[in-house]
Parts: sequence; structure tokens; C-alpha cells
Amino acid sequence: MNFKKIMLSILLPLWGLGGLSCTKEIELDLNSSNSKYVIEAELPQNQVAIVTITKTVNFSDSNNFPPIKAADVIITDNLGVTEKLTETASGVYKTQKIKGEEGKTYSLSIKTEGQTFTAKSTMPTAVKMTGLRAAVSIVRVPGSKADTYNIFPQFIDPPALGNNYRFIQTRNNETDKSLILGNDNIGNGEPNARPIFSRDFDIKLGDNVTVEMRCLDKPAYDYFFSLNSINANGPGGGTTPTNPVTNLSGGALGYFSAYTVQKLSTTVK
Amino acid sequence: MTKFKLTLLCMLFLSLTLSAQDKFTISGTLRDKASGEELIGATIMVKEIPNTGKSANEYGFYSITLPKGTYTLRANFVGYSEMTKTVNLDKNQKIDWALESGKVLEEVVVKATKEDNNITKTIMGSDKMDIKEIAKLPVIFGEKDVLKTLQLLPGIKSAGEGNSGFYVRGGGSDQNLILLDEAPVYNASHLLGFFSTFNSDAIKDATIIKGNSPSQYGGRLSSVLDVRMREGNDKEFQTSGGIGLISSRLSIEGPIQQEKSSFMISGRRTYVDLFLKATDDFKDNSLYFYDLNAKANYRINDNNRIFVSGYFGRDQLGFGSAVGIDWGNKTGTVRWNSIINSKWFSNTSLIYSDYSYEFKINGGENSFTNQSKIKDWNLKQEFQYFPNTKNSWRFGLNTVSHTITPGSLISDSNASKSQIKDGRKSWENAIYFNNTFTASPKLSIDYGLRLSSWSILGGTTYNIYDKGIKTDSVKLADNAIGETYFNLEPRLSFNYILNEQSSIKTGYARNTQNLHLLSNSTSSNPTDQWIGSSYNIKPEIADQVSLGYFRNFADNKYEFSAETYYKTMQNQVDYKNGADIQTAKDVESELLYGKGRAYGLELYLKKKTGKFTGWLSYTLSRTERQIEGINDGNWYAAKQDRTHDISIVGIYQLSPKWSLSGNFVYNTGSAVTFPSGKYSVAGKTTYYYTERNGYRMPDYHRLDVSATYEKQRKGKFQSSWNFSIYNLYGRENAYTITFEDSKTDPSKTVAKQTSLFRWVPSVTYNFKF
Repeated sequence: MNFKKIMLSILLPLWGLGGLSCTKEIELDLNSSNSKYVIEAELPQNQVAIVTITKTVNFSDSNNFPPIKAADVIITDNLGVTEKLTETASGVYKTQKIKGEEGKTYSLSIKTEGQTFTAKSTMPTAVKMTGLRAAVSIVRVPGSKADTYNIFPQFIDPPALGNNYRFIQTRNNETDKSLILGNDNIGNGEPNARPIFSRDFDIKLGDNVTVEMRCLDKPAYDYFFSLNSINANGPGGGTTPTNPVTNLSGGALGYFSAYTVQKLSTTVK
Repeated sequence: MTKFKLTLLCMLFLSLTLSAQDKFTISGTLRDKASGEELIGATIMVKEIPNTGKSANEYGFYSITLPKGTYTLRANFVGYSEMTKTVNLDKNQKIDWALESGKVLEEVVVKATKEDNNITKTIMGSDKMDIKEIAKLPVIFGEKDVLKTLQLLPGIKSAGEGNSGFYVRGGGSDQNLILLDEAPVYNASHLLGFFSTFNSDAIKDATIIKGNSPSQYGGRLSSVLDVRMREGNDKEFQTSGGIGLISSRLSIEGPIQQEKSSFMISGRRTYVDLFLKATDDFKDNSLYFYDLNAKANYRINDNNRIFVSGYFGRDQLGFGSAVGIDWGNKTGTVRWNSIINSKWFSNTSLIYSDYSYEFKINGGENSFTNQSKIKDWNLKQEFQYFPNTKNSWRFGLNTVSHTITPGSLISDSNASKSQIKDGRKSWENAIYFNNTFTASPKLSIDYGLRLSSWSILGGTTYNIYDKGIKTDSVKLADNAIGETYFNLEPRLSFNYILNEQSSIKTGYARNTQNLHLLSNSTSSNPTDQWIGSSYNIKPEIADQVSLGYFRNFADNKYEFSAETYYKTMQNQVDYKNGADIQTAKDVESELLYGKGRAYGLELYLKKKTGKFTGWLSYTLSRTERQIEGINDGNWYAAKQDRTHDISIVGIYQLSPKWSLSGNFVYNTGSAVTFPSGKYSVAGKTTYYYTERNGYRMPDYHRLDVSATYEKQRKGKFQSSWNFSIYNLYGRENAYTITFEDSKTDPSKTVAKQTSLFRWVPSVTYNFKF
């Protein structure tokens, strides 16, 4: 939890009341940069791989990220099964045969416009999620009247250290955009005791909540963890921003992750 | 090698102490007449022998040795009337002085004292804060603050809006040695830095030295801020205090036994949380700090004195009963001063210092506490020796035991969910000598040597990493000594007096630092971790050379100085990109090491006397780092790098009752990392960064004004009102700039700036009786 954020979430409204603090849009003269390749490659359990290739744009441009067409995208597993991905939409490539399997290591190779990018990712063995439990949130959002809830995914972390998790939470079919991550640095080998903490995504009585649990390998976890620290760059400065730590070689932004998938739903009552 | 050097030192020392015959010593103490407080740095001059003078040490003691004869001695101190005494010197004599504070309001005419200390003192890059002057300057929330006034001096930069943290000559905020009665204060700020831990009612003296410190100081790279608490009036009881909009203060002092022992106790508390109580949304939250300074001293006899002083401060922050955060410092010092004879002075100090924070979440089965602590026991012995008018020696030793408990997570319900990190112990030692030597009436030299050591102590396992990968580990048994780092730190300053109005000074100093503050954010948090040198983290070393020209004008009414410096820093520590600082088992796996350099020019013009006083300061500087693994290994501007820094301070005594003051500050925005592009990942707009700290925050400027009204004194009762406005013209200075998709047009990305303080008016009522 970011200490400074908590502090400022108390102080800023207080000063706001007194007209001391203020937030406004400003014009900044940001440099333009050479366009970089951005690769988002995912291989979910029992599903086909999806690889999206785009390029960065300048800050002042609109949010249209140019897709990279006609790239040569190949995925190979550790048994030597290999497949060239088909471009199903512009810049989006999918496998037809290869589907993600637990315990397998996959290699990704992308050739486009004279450049080559590679990465490896291992799909860990799934940790069984047995249920979802909702409990009244211990932290009440200042100003809110009704109780909010936190979801506790029920699972027992395996004894070996090094399990990494990502959770995606949906409330009445609306997906929480925040990155929710966990590992077993704390509570290794124990039943999970940590709720899903998410700002600006209140869960109330009667909501239908779905949680997707993904088990990731360490490089993919590190990517999302570092991506999260930049995004969390809130008031007070936060972490000095850098590009997230990628498992892609060749100078591209993004990641390649083979992960397990489990989904459970519950109604908060 | 060390042995050889020590022998050399002894020889050098002996050669300089051969005393001539027919010389006698005058020694004694300089005090304030009304309160009995010792006057640190007051000077005694000998009229008959120009350029012969001695300053009182930090306990008000002085010693001058002169050939037999008749002399006129003059005692001087800033803000006090000069006193002269004629002495017929034919034996050793003890002369104590009681100087009278030269209040402008009273009928006492303050003699135009020859205040050319800046020309004659050898140490450069040093400044003494005038506590009375600080009281008149405008500050945020009306809370006068020595650390904020300090930031208006050249070479010292504020760590952020309204912040008491500071950077000296390109160093980090953890590279300042902040001492309160000799005890190091690890976190000198309250409430995110908006207040400092120093309650100015309790402070007698604050001196800053920017890197070229004499060898009795050590342990930090950039500066020393030596703050001394008041002893307490030993003649009569006195109560003083102040009531402000968000905080109040109260001090009581007085004699325990007349002119033999005295005490002082001073407390402060903020009440921001009372405003919170008034709101519906925040009424369950708490947010306040309090602190307490206490001191007592006892004169055993004419030559021996004991002092006991302590500080206790705590910040509390809470969201109802769910989340509680508190942090604070505790320090305690016991000192024994002994005047061994007219030439020898000894001081022994036993110091305790403690900083801790605790972060508590109460949620039934999920309750946990995150806490971290640093605890020191420190023993210092120093001798001061004044063999003749030419030399003032100091030598001493210092031994410190550090215990650092890094951030541990403790589950209240289930021990297996806890992550307890082992505490680390280390042992720091130093021996030093220093001499202020007047080589000729024109040339004085301050030289010294400090040998410091840092030993890793056992009781835990230390891992060794190569680029974040564990390669080895060392398990040390309890009390076993692991790696020991030795560093020899030479300090050297020359002052060449060109004429009565001007001098040239130059100096070199090496400083080392074995305690490092790990901070991943752009400003400091109470939760930032201190870590000692280990197998991976090597002692930080800084070498600084500086050169300065000092000139006084118009009978010392104006003081001007120009100083330049160049500093290199080794073994600087930073987090690697994407470091996990919350749950990583061993924070050392997340660190990177590199070097730094800083250089600059500092100009300072001060008007010291008259109805209008004040100063103008300008700093041109640069500070950079090079760390393998950050910014592709290229040099980059450190976050505290600001090219231009200007402060203008003015105080005008309008009438005996009213005084007005104002200060204006301008600085180039700090170096910051902004995106140079963007892309989409995981369904979110994400920013692409090309360079560390390659951009600048917008320029910062601000004008503050204040007016002080002192009521006519009624008997013993004195009172004053202070009205001030911080940021008079409402400049919206950027505190943070963040980037997000536009709420109105999601295809666009915008930059958003948050500024904290526009027009902060405040009123403070001060009283004394």
C-alpha cells in the first residue's frame, strides 16, 4: 500500500476545501520518440495463443496504435511442436493447433520489417482455486455511506516458493481494469488470506462477481509488477517511472506469458 | 599503514605543543546576562594583537594564552552589546562574561560590533542560523522553522513544496547529518515534511556546514546541521508559547537551584484533525503530531557540568480503527563537560537515538503490522586543547552500535503469514583530530583527519548478489565481526586574509557514509528504509574541493561571498527498475550501485544591520548520477538537480512595534522522467520512457510575506502577533504531474498537474512571561 497516497487522500480533500490545492490539465512540450514495437503475447491454458503487435506513437498523437501487419510469428513448445501464427485481424496473430498446457515451456519468435524478437515463457502448474468469499472491506472509502466488499479467492499456495498470481475481477459483467497481482513472498504454502484490493472498483451487496485466477511464471509476473509500479505513479511522485522489465529480447516493449486459467463466480450476500 | 600515520600524527602534535615560557592563560565562559545561556561561537578578541581571537566552543568555553602583559579583551556576539575588560596578565586567570542582548526596542545602544566573522573564520561553506531572525520570516502555516529558513541559503535546496527536507550541494536528503544535541535525527520531518522536528522555541543554535566540515563530524556525505537545544534560564522562571491555526507550542524553563542548575521543557501539538472532525466524511480519521524537547543541566562545581537532554516526537495517522500509521524519533543525550585546566576542555557524551515506524491494519483475521526500526547507542569522548593563540586542537573518538530492523510484516493472527526480517547489527567507530592553526596574521589553516570504520556484526545471514542474482551468503554467529570497512578522511581548509574586508578560502574534504536511505519515490516517505553497509553495499565516499571569495562592505554592514565546489560521490545506491520493495525477502537483491558528481557556484549578499536587513542568494549547480542498469548506464541528472536557484529575503523594522518581512524564491524545475511516447498494453494506455530524468518540472516561484506586531511590554509579559501569507500571488506550482486518458475525449492523453498550496494565510500569537 502506498503510504503517501493514503496520506494525501486525507490531506488533499482537506486543502481542497480550503481552496489551497488544485488539479488542472496543462500543456507539456514532450519530445517525440522513435517508434518502438509493442508485443503482447498471451498463451492461456487450453486456449490458442494471441499475439498483438503494434507500435508506440508520440504522446500528443491520438490513441491509435498502428498495427504491424504481415509479421512472421512462430510459437514452439519444449517438445518441438511448432506453429506459424495466422493473422486474423490486422496486427493480431493466433495459433490454430497449439493450445496452452500446464508445465510446458514455449518459445516465441517474431520477424518483422527486418527485426527479430524472441521470448520464452513457461506455464506453471495450476494452483487450484476452490471458491470465492466476500467480506466487508476493512477500509472504508472516505465519504462512502454503504459498506463495500472485498473478494478473497480461496486457494492453498503450494509449499515450494515462487508462485505468482494475477487476478481479473468482474462485477456484473464490468471488468476491473486494475492489475491485481500476488506472489508467495508472504504466506508461502499457506491458504490465501489476502483479499483483492482495488481502487475505484467498489463491490456492493448483491453484486455478481467473477474472478479469473492466472498462474504466471516469474518473468511475466515481474513485467506486470513493474508495469503496475509505473501506473501507480500517483500524487507525491511515486516510483521514478521506467519501461517495465520485459522478457522479450530484441528491444521491443511488452511481454510473452503462458498462464493457467480458472474462473469462479459468486453473488455477494 | 594506519599505525604509521598515527605515529606521524603524534609527532606532529608534539612538535606544535612546545610551549614558550612566560605565557599565561585566560579562560572562562561566555553567557547571556539575562538567562545564563552559553553563547556558542561568541568571540574574544585581544585589542593589542590584531587577528588574535578565539571563539567560544559549543559549551561557551574559551581559552587564550598570551605573553605576560596588559591587554584589553573584547567579547562579541551577534545581536549582543560588545563588552570590554582590561586584564593585567601575570598569572592564569578565569574570566567569565555575561553579555547583554542588544534589543533594538530598549534604550541600550548596540555598539557597531566588528562582525567580520565570515572573513576571519577558516571553515567555508558554513552558516549559523539566527533563531531570532527566523521568527520574523514568513513560513507556511505560520510555524517558524529552522529547516525551512535554511533552504533560503545558497547551495541548500528544498526537497519540495512546503517541505522541511533539504538537499545540499547535489546530495540526497539522507546525506545530511542532522544532530540535535549531538544525537542523529533520522527523519527530521513531521506530516509528509510540512513541519520539521525542530521546535524553534527549544533551539539555541543551528549551524550548517556544506561538506567541508572539521573532522569531529562524520558519517554523512553532504552536510552537517548541528542543532543545539537551549539550556533553560538559570536565573528566573519563564513561560513562552504560541497559538497558531493548526498548531500550538508551550515552553517552561527556569532554575532548579539558582545559577547552579536549570531546566527547559517545550512541547508542540498540531490539531489538523480537529478540522477533520468537523467534516462528515473524515470525522473518523486522525492526523496529528506532537513533540517534546526537554533538557536539564547541573553545575557540579566551577569546572564540571552535567547535561541531560531528550527529544520525543511522534506522528499519528489513522483511518477510523482500520488503518493506523505512526512514526517518530526519540533521542537522548547525557553529557559531562569538564574544564580540566585553563587549556584543556573535555566533553563526554552518551547518546541514544531511535527512529521507528509502524503501519497497522486491523481487520480481524487479516490484521497485520508492518514495522521498522533503527536504534543507536553512541559514546563520544572529545578533548579540546588550546596551547597558545595560534592553535586550537580537538581530538576524540566515537563508537556507535547500530541495530536496524528492516520493514517486517507481522500477522496478528497467524505467525506463518508473517515475514519477519532479521535485525542487523553494526558497529561504527571513528577517531579524529583537528587543529585550527593561525599560521600568520593573514593565513589560517584548519586541518584534520578522521579514521572511520564500519563493522558488520553477526546474528544473521548476509547474502551476496551479482546483478541481483544471489551468488553466495555469509552466516555470522552472534557478536561475530564480519567485513570491516576502514576509511581515512582528510579535511583541510585554508583562509588567506587579503585585507580587512576580504579573504580567499579553499578546502578539500573527504566524507564517508555507511547508513543509506533507500527511497524509490521522488520525495521521502517515513517508510523509506535505512540500511547499513554490507557485503554488497559499500561505504559511500564523497570528495569535495571548494574555493571561495569573501568580501565585506560598508564597515561590515554588507557581507558578500562567492563559493564554487566540485564533488564526486562513489558507491551511490539506488533501486533497480521494477524493484519489489514491499515483499522482497532481501531488499539487497533489488539494488544497483553507481557514482555521482556535483558542481556549482553559490553567490550570497547579506545586509546585516540597520532597519532593513536580509539577503540575496543565487546558486548555479548541476548534480548527476551514473548507475549501471539505469538509463542505459549513461549519466543522468539526479532528481534534485536544479540549474538556477534564487532566494531573496527582506526584513524591515517599520516601527518599534511593527516589522515586515518577505521572501521570494525561484528555481528551475527539478529533473523528472516524463514519457516520450505511449502504447497500449493489457487494455490500458501505457507510457514509453526514453531517458531517466530527461525532463524538467515547470519552474517554481513563490512570494511569502508576513507582518509581526510586538505589543508594548507590560512588566514581564511580552506578546506578539504574526500574520503571514504563503504564496501571496497564488502561483500554482506543480507538486506532481501525471498522465491519463482524457475523460472528455478518450482518444487523447493529457497531462495533469496538482499543486498544493495557493495562498495559505496564517495567524500566530506568541507570548512570553
